[in-house]
This record gives sequence, C-alpha cells and structure tokens, in this order.
Amino acid sequence: MPSRSLARGVVLAALSVLFGIGALRLPIGRLSHAGAGLFPLLVSGLLLVLALVMIARSAVAGSDPLYLNLKNIAVILCGLAGFVVCCRQLGMAAGIVWLVFVAALAGTAYSWRRNLVVSLALGAVALAFQRFLGLDLRLF
Amino acid sequence: MDILSNLAFGFGHALTPHNLLYCAIGCTVGTLVGLLPGLGPLATISLLLPLTYSIDTGGALIMLAGIYYGAQYGDSVSAITMKIPHASSIVACIDGYQMTLKGKTGLALFTAGVSSFIGGTVAIVVLASLAPSLGEVALLFGPADYCSLMLFGFCCVSFVTTGSLLNGLAMCLVGVLLGQIGTDVESGVQRFTFDLPMLSDGVSIVSVALGCFGIAEIAKNLDAKEERTPFNGTIKLMPTWPEFVRIIPSALRGSVVGSVLGIMPGGGPVIAQFAAYALDKKTSRYRHEIGQGAIEGVAGQAAADEAAARTSFIPLMSIGIPENAVMALMMAAFILKGVQPGPNMIAKHPDLFWGLVASMWIGNCFLLILNVPLVRIWLSIFRIPYAVLYPTILFFCCIGTFSINNNFDDIFITAGFGLLGYLLMRLSLDPAPLMLGFILGPMLEEYFRRAMTISRGSFSVFVTQPISATLLACIVLLAAWQVAVPIFRKRMPGPDRRDGAV
Repeated sequence: MPSRSLARGVVLAALSVLFGIGALRLPIGRLSHAGAGLFPLLVSGLLLVLALVMIARSAVAGSDPLYLNLKNIAVILCGLAGFVVCCRQLGMAAGIVWLVFVAALAGTAYSWRRNLVVSLALGAVALAFQRFLGLDLRLF
Repeated sequence: MDILSNLAFGFGHALTPHNLLYCAIGCTVGTLVGLLPGLGPLATISLLLPLTYSIDTGGALIMLAGIYYGAQYGDSVSAITMKIPHASSIVACIDGYQMTLKGKTGLALFTAGVSSFIGGTVAIVVLASLAPSLGEVALLFGPADYCSLMLFGFCCVSFVTTGSLLNGLAMCLVGVLLGQIGTDVESGVQRFTFDLPMLSDGVSIVSVALGCFGIAEIAKNLDAKEERTPFNGTIKLMPTWPEFVRIIPSALRGSVVGSVLGIMPGGGPVIAQFAAYALDKKTSRYRHEIGQGAIEGVAGQAAADEAAARTSFIPLMSIGIPENAVMALMMAAFILKGVQPGPNMIAKHPDLFWGLVASMWIGNCFLLILNVPLVRIWLSIFRIPYAVLYPTILFFCCIGTFSINNNFDDIFITAGFGLLGYLLMRLSLDPAPLMLGFILGPMLEEYFRRAMTISRGSFSVFVTQPISATLLACIVLLAAWQVAVPIFRKRMPGPDRRDGAV
C-alpha cells in the first residue's frame, strides 16, 4: 500500500506541474506589467516547492498507509452523471429515480421500497421548488 | 450614542415581517441541517446558498447568517447528546457528553443554549462598536498590504485548521490556482479552460463547496459504515438556581475570549472553544471538575463558539477579507448578491450592515426559544437512516448547482470537485484552506499585479511598506515556530522516553 505522505506530495506536485505547464502557454509579460500567465506560474512554482518538501519529508517520516475505497465515490459519481443525462433526455423525475436508486448502491442496506418512497418525496420537493421558488425544473 | 442610534436603525430593518421570517427560517434550517451527520456549518451554507437566489439581498444575508449560527448550535446539540461533533463542536463533546452520561443532558443543553445567547450578545456589542472603526483602518491599506494580509490569513487558517502550515498552505495554493480557471479579467485571455465553454466563466464557488464538502463528505461517511445510535435518554431542561449561577461567569469569560479570537485572522469558533476551555480549566472555581462533566466545561466553550462565529464577520465586513473558510463562503454570498464587502460597505449599505447586526441578536432569541424547549424534536432527526439522508443531500447538491446558471453541465463540475475533495480527504488534506484560497485567489492576483505595477516590478514594496512588512514578519515567525517546535520536542526528553517506552 502506498504511503499517504508520499502520495500527498506526488498529487500536489502533479497539480502544480499541470497548472505550471498551462501557465507557460499563456503570455507571461514582465513583473511590472504582468501577463495572464505570470501569477499562476508563480503560484504553481511555490506549490511545487511545497510538494517537493512533502516528498522529502515522507522519506524521513514513518510509513502511513493510504486507504482508498473508490467504490462508493464511483457509485455516487455514476449517480450524478446519470442524473444529468436522464434530466436532459427524460426530465427531472427520471433523473431523481436514477440518482436515488444508483446512489443507494453505495449504502450498506439496499431497499427498493425505501428508494421509491425517497424518490417520490424528492419529486414532490422538486415540484415545490418549481412552483414556489420559480426554479426552471422540467419534471417530465 | 452613535452605536445605539445605528442599532435602532438596524432593528428597524431586521424587525420587518419578512426579515423576521428569513431569520427564523435560517435559524431553523441551519439547526436542522447542522444536526445531520457529516454536515457542519460550511457544508450547510454551501448546500443552502442557492435557496437564497430568489430572495432580496437583505433577507438573503440575514437568512444565511441565521443558517451559519443555527448550524453552529445544531452541531453542539449532536456533540453533547451523542458525541458526534461535525466540524466545530469538538470541545462540546468533552464535558457535554460526560454530562449526558451522568443523566444531565437537559442541563448541558440549557447551559449551551444560554451561554450561546450570552456569547452572541457580547459579540454583537463588539461587532457594532469595532466594525466601523476597523473599516477606517482598512482605508490605510495599499495593494502590497492587502497581499500580505491575505498571505497572513492563509498561514493562520492553514495552521489552525490543519495543524500543519505546509499542508494547509499547499491547499490554499491549490485553491488559488483553481480560482484562476476562466477568463483573465485584465487581458481577456482564457486560462486553464481546456477549450470547454462551461469553464470560460470560471468555476462556481457553489460547485467547489458542494463537491468538496457535500459529495466528498458523503463518500467518506459511507466508507466509515458507522451505525449511529439515536439519543433515547431523558431530558430535564430547567437547572436549579446554584447551577444557573455557575453558568454566568464562565459564559462571560468565554464571550470575551471568543469575541477577541473571532476577529483574528485564521481565528474562529474552533480555536475560540479550545482557548475558552483552557481558560476555564485554569481560572474557574470548579476547575477540578472540568473534564468530568462540569457546567463550566460546556458554558465557556459554547459562549466562545457563538461569540467567535459573530465577530468573525468583522474582518469580512470592514476590511473585505474573510478570515476563515465559512466567512469566505459568506463573502461569496455577499458578492452573488451584488454587495462587495470592504471598508465602504457600511457607508454604502448601512441598512444591510446594521440590519444584519440587529438580526443576529434576534436570531439569538430565536435559537434560545426554538432550540432549548424543542430539543427533543431536533434529536428525532437522528432517527432518519443515513440511507435516506444521503440520496436527499445528493439531490440538493444537484439542484443547488443547477440553479446557478440553469445548466446541467455544472453538475459535472460539482461531481469533479467531489472526486477531488474525496481524494484530498483521503490524503489527510483539509479542503477548508482550499476554499479560502479559491475565493481570495482572484483578489490576491489583482492586488499583486497592482503592487508590482506601482513598484515597477520590484518585490521590495512588500518589505518597505510598514503594514505589509509587519504582516510578513508575522508569517516568518509562524513558519519558524512550526519548524522549531518539533525540533525542541525531539531534544527534550519526555517522561515516557526516560522510561524507555515508545
């Protein structure tokens, strides 16, 4: 299992490199007349320095295992993506049903009856938002 | 006398029927959501921010402030009764839960309610007296001073929220970089948009907040697979006279500590609670009982919590710089409503400022009336299974994101930030400093560019200006402290090391 402190440094270094490369493609200008890329380049450089310090410290510090359970977050993201697709194609009512039934897969106990009740209740909430708060929600 | 007439003017605005209603809704909804597992004030405000879009500016800000301190209170109820602190009520768990174990839940809740009321009232007096004069001080600040102030704020927040200056500062910088996504306002150049039209206006604060605090928190709670036991004990609310008398001195001490620490950059409710608790442990007549379920252990920290929550509005409304992540979110709410917090806010929008200050006291009364007698009803929320709660929260995240631009694509951005927030949590990186960096990033860039233009590209402007130089010196001291403490700890042999134990 990878070390948490090492992973922390590596992820932050990757982010700084990503933004740093993006900033280099923008006009940099001079300090007295900064271009669009100067400030993000300075910030990503500073972030890279901090990330390298973290990586160096991880070599000295004891190993702290990284725990990652991607199943639950993947199920939730799948529920959200499906919600968008259903809302566009079929309306928000279908989106709610998809979201509730898929997101419930991440829980410990699955009950389609409970999911149905939750979907109906959320449908009623969406209807109330549409009527009383004027939100542009197309249910069907 | 000025303060009294200003407060009277504020009460004139806050006591209108619709503002009273918004204040009551804010307090009730805030308490309700603040009680839910895994939802602290930050997540609560971000979740409910979109609800205020269709409300007028004054009402929206009053409601959001109500949500904030309502959520603070809800948080302490769950901490006292079930030892479930969400974000801000860690200290309430210590003596509050001990009192619950002794069958004194009602007394603990009454103490927390009354102390919060006292803390809130003291803080409102401080807020009303200090904010206008601090606004005048803010006019002395130049671009370099503002840059240094923001950097100092980053360091303080990093140090306080994560305990590690390195980790927190890195998160602030990630937030600053994320804030660069979109169109550069000075040159019109698109930055980090990957040619995606949905990114050309930048990333919405609501997407970042809901992703990092809503979705990521749900995934983390689901990973934990914790079964929460609902509270079933008896509640006797009214204390005896000797018990009531014990509340007052401790609550007053906590109010002063909270009011002072709420104003400091990086300060806020969490640090104020610890400080008030530590002070009570040193100075209270009943200090030997603190830690084992003492009234003072609940009163001081609850008053400090509430006082700090209110005085943390001072830097935001007078200088225009939020000092913690919750205030950064409040700043976003001000800006969404077309109000720029800063030295001119009080002069430009006296009705908003004094109306908000007055509404805080009214909110205090609402919290006391609503929460102390109705606490049993609030606790029934814990009977709702998490399997019902989290799809509902996800739905509100979607509606909240969609309602900003009526665009479903924004939900993809929120989901992306959910993934990022989850990864950061798993890496033990707190997303709160990220939020502060994200909101202050564009402002930091603007002031940095201005300072550099004025100084013709010389960094010396940051050390030749007295305010900026002082703030930078404080940053250096903070960094030196962070480096020095572990070294001293290693060198000083502890009692366990002397015994050879590890």
